[in-house]
Amino acid sequence: MSLVRGVVDKLAEDARTVAYTPVEVGRDAVYTARSVARGETSPTEPLKSVGATLGALVVVTLLLFPVYWILMSALSGTGGSIYSSGGLHLLPQDPSLKPFLWVVGDLIVPAYAITVNVPFTNLAVVFNTPELVFLDASAYGVDNPSEFKSFFWNSLTVSIPTVIIAMCLIIPASYALSRREFIFRRKVLFTYVLLTQVGGGLGIALLIGLYAVYVQVGLNNSKLALAVYYAATAVPFNTWLLKTYMDGIPTSYEEAAVVDGAPPWRVVTEVILPLSAAGLATVFIFTFLTGWTEFVVAQTLLGTENYTLPVGLYSLVDEYSIPWARFSAFALVFASPLMLVYLFAQRYIEGGLSFSGMEG
Amino acid sequence: MSTASRVATKVGEVPFLDKDDASLLLVLPGLFVFAAFMLFPVLYLVGISFTNARPANLFAGETALDVLTFGQAEFVGLQNYVSTLSDPAFWNSFGVTWLFVATSVTAKITFSIGVALVVTNERVRGKRFMRSLIILPMGLPAIFTVTVWRGIFSSAEFGLANQILRELGFDSVAWLSQRWMSFLSYNVTEMWLAYPFMVIITVSALQDVPKELHEAAMVDGAGYFSRFLHVTLPSIKRPVLFASILTAAASFQAFLIPFVFNQGGPARSNELLVVYGYREAFTFSQYGEGAAISLLAVLFIGAFMWLNVKKGKLADGVSDS
Repeated sequence: MSLVRGVVDKLAEDARTVAYTPVEVGRDAVYTARSVARGETSPTEPLKSVGATLGALVVVTLLLFPVYWILMSALSGTGGSIYSSGGLHLLPQDPSLKPFLWVVGDLIVPAYAITVNVPFTNLAVVFNTPELVFLDASAYGVDNPSEFKSFFWNSLTVSIPTVIIAMCLIIPASYALSRREFIFRRKVLFTYVLLTQVGGGLGIALLIGLYAVYVQVGLNNSKLALAVYYAATAVPFNTWLLKTYMDGIPTSYEEAAVVDGAPPWRVVTEVILPLSAAGLATVFIFTFLTGWTEFVVAQTLLGTENYTLPVGLYSLVDEYSIPWARFSAFALVFASPLMLVYLFAQRYIEGGLSFSGMEG
Repeated sequence: MSTASRVATKVGEVPFLDKDDASLLLVLPGLFVFAAFMLFPVLYLVGISFTNARPANLFAGETALDVLTFGQAEFVGLQNYVSTLSDPAFWNSFGVTWLFVATSVTAKITFSIGVALVVTNERVRGKRFMRSLIILPMGLPAIFTVTVWRGIFSSAEFGLANQILRELGFDSVAWLSQRWMSFLSYNVTEMWLAYPFMVIITVSALQDVPKELHEAAMVDGAGYFSRFLHVTLPSIKRPVLFASILTAAASFQAFLIPFVFNQGGPARSNELLVVYGYREAFTFSQYGEGAAISLLAVLFIGAFMWLNVKKGKLADGVSDS
């Protein structure tokens, strides 16, 4: 669990930095003010800094405005207009959580009657599970909630098989590519890296072929077949990523294990795999997100009843009848968990992709 | 022979399987699945492009084995390619695609360098915090970003772009039903979609510019702009070029933005190449022509990438791995 502890440590560090920032800024300001008062610094210098910082803040605000806007639309009862006769409104008007209730809908576990026959008698024991009501949307005046839950279930049943299949294909391959020498090794590596560069967009161009094959074999509208396809597309990039990660583990650990008499499989399960936990987590997140966020192939192959979340989101924007507030709430419920995952994984992902140039 | 090296040979030699080459078996499943689900569709696509496949004849077969004969579609030779290449709509799509690559890449590079310069400026306080804020959109799924931006350019009352225009005293614009206005909206969206990646690369390139160069230029009396032109730009050229090549490939393959915004409309005028092939097949049921168009698109992007890899030496990292 060193991975979890590492994440927690870094979060604590971040929190501390945020908490201390006002103090630091205050000290800085006092220091500058004194130095100006003593006449050591010209008074225009701090003004220039303040101006530049304000300018940068404006740029940041403008860049993130779409995200703010969608959040505001989801919260406002009026459906996302910042413009009205009274001028611009930057805070939601009559804020309400109804759009989110519409997205989530009822959370009710219906009552079941479980019958258990007692053996060798005519007796039967009947259990009635109580109806569990977590959230009753109609009680808040939201009838006819969205299909979010069924989309969510479909996404889950696509993404989980994707992860399992992809992991089974990726881990042995990256271990072999990192630690063993065999024929075609360099060729396989080169192919994978090349596919990493061009792979993504090819999917759409190849979709016609894929669709024709799937329909004729009768695999379209099958979530498992879609999952296998996603796993296949995830193989080159993630194998290469995990292989690069494993390259960073010193071989002396394995040598020590061999000296201690560990059989080969234990070298893998007790040295390599635990040491590459962060790499495995990155690959896990990447493959999961492949299935969770892919739109075009899912939209083409799946039927209405199997729509995943991205396709569901698109089907909402297609309809003029959906109020914008509801669309925004749906989009946010879909995207914000991914954003959180990204925040957590950011350091690892950036470490894995060799451009970690974000330190101050 | 020392103990350490003997152990090292032992590790290299035996552990798992008897012969070294047997390790290939660990790689094969991944390769096989990838080939089955990517390579086979490619071959199939090539096959379809030589037939008059439509849903009526392609899916007419009774059993799964008909997959090998393309259902009951007939071989028509190069007819699909001839009709595609002589179709003005294809050349329109071709032109719009390259125009989009040119405009969007230019926009993305200038915009990202601008943003990166702002968040690395030495006068700005809290740079690090700002940098982690502005790359947040990278964590958003593309379909979210694109649908939200479609809402921004919507002609309905909530459309943010029109609200801002009205606030500034302009008339509202029907963004998605005019050709060049939709083209402009594609560019803006693509810029927002790609800027976190570009900014990350540009910022790390800017941080690698040696301070001494700037100081020397300052001593020589160079102003901010001439320092940017003669010191900063040459130093960040290579990483930015690398990022531009990748982002140009992304622009060439842009599908989500035109498709979600207005299906490449109005009246098919803005269908980028990939959208054109997709729509030809799935909206107008011309599988044969759609396959031909898609293959041509793959050829173009392949040639484009190959040229860039050769020129930009992108594959340098591979040879020593």
